[in-house]
Amino acid sequence: MTSSVSEKPIVHVVDDDDSLRKAVTRLLRAAGYDVRAYGSAGEFALTERDNKRPGCVLLDVRMPGPSGLDLQEALAREDEPLPVIFLTAYGDIPTTVRAMKAGAVDFLTKPIKRDALLNAVRTALARDLQWHTSHEQRRDLHIRFEKLTARERDVFELVVAGRLNKQIAAELGMAERTVKAHRSQVMAKMQATTLAELVHLADKMRHDGL
Amino acid sequence: MPDQASDSFWKSRRFEQAVFAPVVEADAIRAAVLVFIGYYLGTRIGFALTFQPHPISVFWPPNSVLLAALLLTPPRIWWFLLLAAFPAHLIAELQSQVPPLMVVCWFVSNCSEALIGAGLTRYLLRGPVRFDTLRGVATFCLCAGFLGPFLSSFIDAGFVALNGWGHGSYLNNWRARFFSNVLSALTLTPAIITWFNFRPTQWKRISSGHALEGSVLLLGLVIASTVTLYNARTNPDPVLFYAPLPFLLWAVFRFEARATSAAILIVTFLAIWSSTHGHGPFINQSAEINARSIQMFLIVMTVPVMLLAAGIQERRKAEERFAEAFRSSPDPMSIIRQKDGVLIDVNDHWMKTFGYERSETIGRSLLDLNLSLSEGGQVQQMIGFGRTEPIRDLDCEARAKTGEFRQVSLSADAVEIGNEPCLVVVIRDITDRKKAEEMSRDLAHASRLATIGELSASIAHEINQPLGAILSNADAAELLLESESPPLDEVRRILADIRNDDLRASEIIRHIRLLTRKQVMQVEVLDLTQVAGEVVRLMEAEARSRNVSICTNFAAAPTAIFGDRVHLQQVLMNLILNGMEAMTDTPESERRLLVRTVANGQQRVQVSVSDSGRGIPPEKLSRLFESFFTTKETGMGLGLAIARSIIDAHHGRISAENNSDGGATFQFDLPLSNQSVVS
Repeated sequence: MTSSVSEKPIVHVVDDDDSLRKAVTRLLRAAGYDVRAYGSAGEFALTERDNKRPGCVLLDVRMPGPSGLDLQEALAREDEPLPVIFLTAYGDIPTTVRAMKAGAVDFLTKPIKRDALLNAVRTALARDLQWHTSHEQRRDLHIRFEKLTARERDVFELVVAGRLNKQIAAELGMAERTVKAHRSQVMAKMQATTLAELVHLADKMRHDGL
Repeated sequence: MPDQASDSFWKSRRFEQAVFAPVVEADAIRAAVLVFIGYYLGTRIGFALTFQPHPISVFWPPNSVLLAALLLTPPRIWWFLLLAAFPAHLIAELQSQVPPLMVVCWFVSNCSEALIGAGLTRYLLRGPVRFDTLRGVATFCLCAGFLGPFLSSFIDAGFVALNGWGHGSYLNNWRARFFSNVLSALTLTPAIITWFNFRPTQWKRISSGHALEGSVLLLGLVIASTVTLYNARTNPDPVLFYAPLPFLLWAVFRFEARATSAAILIVTFLAIWSSTHGHGPFINQSAEINARSIQMFLIVMTVPVMLLAAGIQERRKAEERFAEAFRSSPDPMSIIRQKDGVLIDVNDHWMKTFGYERSETIGRSLLDLNLSLSEGGQVQQMIGFGRTEPIRDLDCEARAKTGEFRQVSLSADAVEIGNEPCLVVVIRDITDRKKAEEMSRDLAHASRLATIGELSASIAHEINQPLGAILSNADAAELLLESESPPLDEVRRILADIRNDDLRASEIIRHIRLLTRKQVMQVEVLDLTQVAGEVVRLMEAEARSRNVSICTNFAAAPTAIFGDRVHLQQVLMNLILNGMEAMTDTPESERRLLVRTVANGQQRVQVSVSDSGRGIPPEKLSRLFESFFTTKETGMGLGLAIARSIIDAHHGRISAENNSDGGATFQFDLPLSNQSVVS
């Protein structure tokens, strides 16, 4: 597995309460994370972020201006959404349900115990990392597939469907030798060493809707 | 004075209105006829009661008849009455061969006497004379009984001298006329006036026992007067002069001024008639001296008896008024003997309140009845230890016959009744009021709790913020201390933050506790603007969660008022919550709430809460502050009713109106305190 994600992860803390924001920031820093703190959802939205850098958002629900839930929605529409952990002083059930349905990693209430907070942050970062990894792989596979010619793609499709070279030649109206040449091109371009590997890659692509 | 005075006042008032008409009315004509007859008869009687051979009148009734007529009528028709008396005077006097000029002169002096006496008396009493008050009798005796005859007799004697009539000296003439007129004014005029006011219907109110007593009195008086004044020989035992006195005193004590004046008149008439007919003790000297003696005797007897009658009547009236007030008082009243606490009298309401019959209470002591008016022992101090300072509005419990305790407010005054120190105790049953107060306190408390309940999310939010910060700070500090070279400065800063957050949390809890505590009103001098500021801060979290922006516009001038902080906070919380709820359907960007305080001149301070919500349906505006009236889907309809009762208790006014640009404004104003806030 290759990954371009190499930088240290960053935790974004968004809370309007100064002293709580400061305290959580301190704790996460002491636990070894890079932390950036924002006093409101708007401040977070307006700040330039490095999309490549893995991270997560620790988000208050009730804030003046756009609420935490509003920000979560906006984040979800982004290309590479950051995982969200909610941290609220008072969580009623409808809010919790809405937040979790929208894909929140966790919904924590203040005062928050250290382990619960750090666990949630760890989970969120792992998820982000995983997401980043699979995202990279997908992109890689896509680039490889793009390199195939139209004929090679046809051959590829029939190979992974389990057809023999002879059958493919008959179906596509070409010589069996030509099929073999195309097939070795496909294996090379898709960076697959065995037929099984190629089938696996095809499965993956089909799964991702490519 | 009020009862009878108003009666005769109205009578005279009617009279005046009748006379006011351009033509003299029937009442005035009737009075004139009576004056004519009375004056004529009076003159005849005066002539009859003269000492012979030298004609000296001992008793001169016509002037007194005229005086009585003027005292009974408004001054407006006096001229008419004097005019009516003139022919009577002429007819009567001209029969006795007196020169016509002298007759006319006498009429002038007679009129002057009546005018002086009646005018002064009316002026000083500011109205008709009354013989049942000390002031009325004293004024009458001084003005009509003394000054009138005194002054007019100078005129009279002067006329006699000018006309060269008779043989007496000026001074003798003056003296003879003065005494005879004093006597008749003092004895005859009161009798005429009191009996003239007598209405036949009043006979019916006299009980048969009283009528019998009156008859016996009359008989005794006539016998005693006859025995002493008619049958007595010359130089009688002086004790005999006092024989009529017991009967006069009897009339004074048992009957009214009317009977007393009649009795005096009877004695006067008998005495003079006896003497003029050569009987009784006043016949052994010259005619002049005899006349003087009899006049002095009667005058000296009459004045004190009349004053005594008035004094007693006045006192009886006062007692009757007290008894009436005691009986009909809407509050339970009792009279208690001070030395042993024995009940002397109780009124109906007292019996109703405590459930006793009259027979069960009179003559028994408070201790026997176990009334237990024990609060602070103040009543005991008055009863047992002769304390005389009054008790005012003492709240205590009293035990009814059923054993039930009633909350009462007690006032007691030490009075002397029949020479015995007593207490007049007035009780106000405030059981129901106390219950109502307690209920309204409970209700206010419940409503506060409900408000707090509505705010519980905000409150939890407010408290959890500092608690969360404290916990995370502590965790951070712990982690930092685990490192190899702990950053101690940072740890110190963390500790300072923890302390601040802790104080912040406890401040919030203190606020909530104040609001939820059940308590009676605690009034103090407060800055209303400061109170409003506190509430706005407390409601900020709630406003945020509802996406409402609260703006404030507070008075710069001091807004010191006298009130209860918690109750006023409750009112403001209610108004702010209502305002926010009214904006649920308003687009978020337009949800604005404005809280204002304005000093209204020197007198009042106004607080208003304006929202930009849906407003109040006009037909509901007037009922908003009623209990259990609500325009909300959820809500008991008590918030505004309690808000109004709180503002009422602060002598303020609360009102609501729709804004011209949408939404509604609730406002209340309170009187400004002249004291400044003690911080």
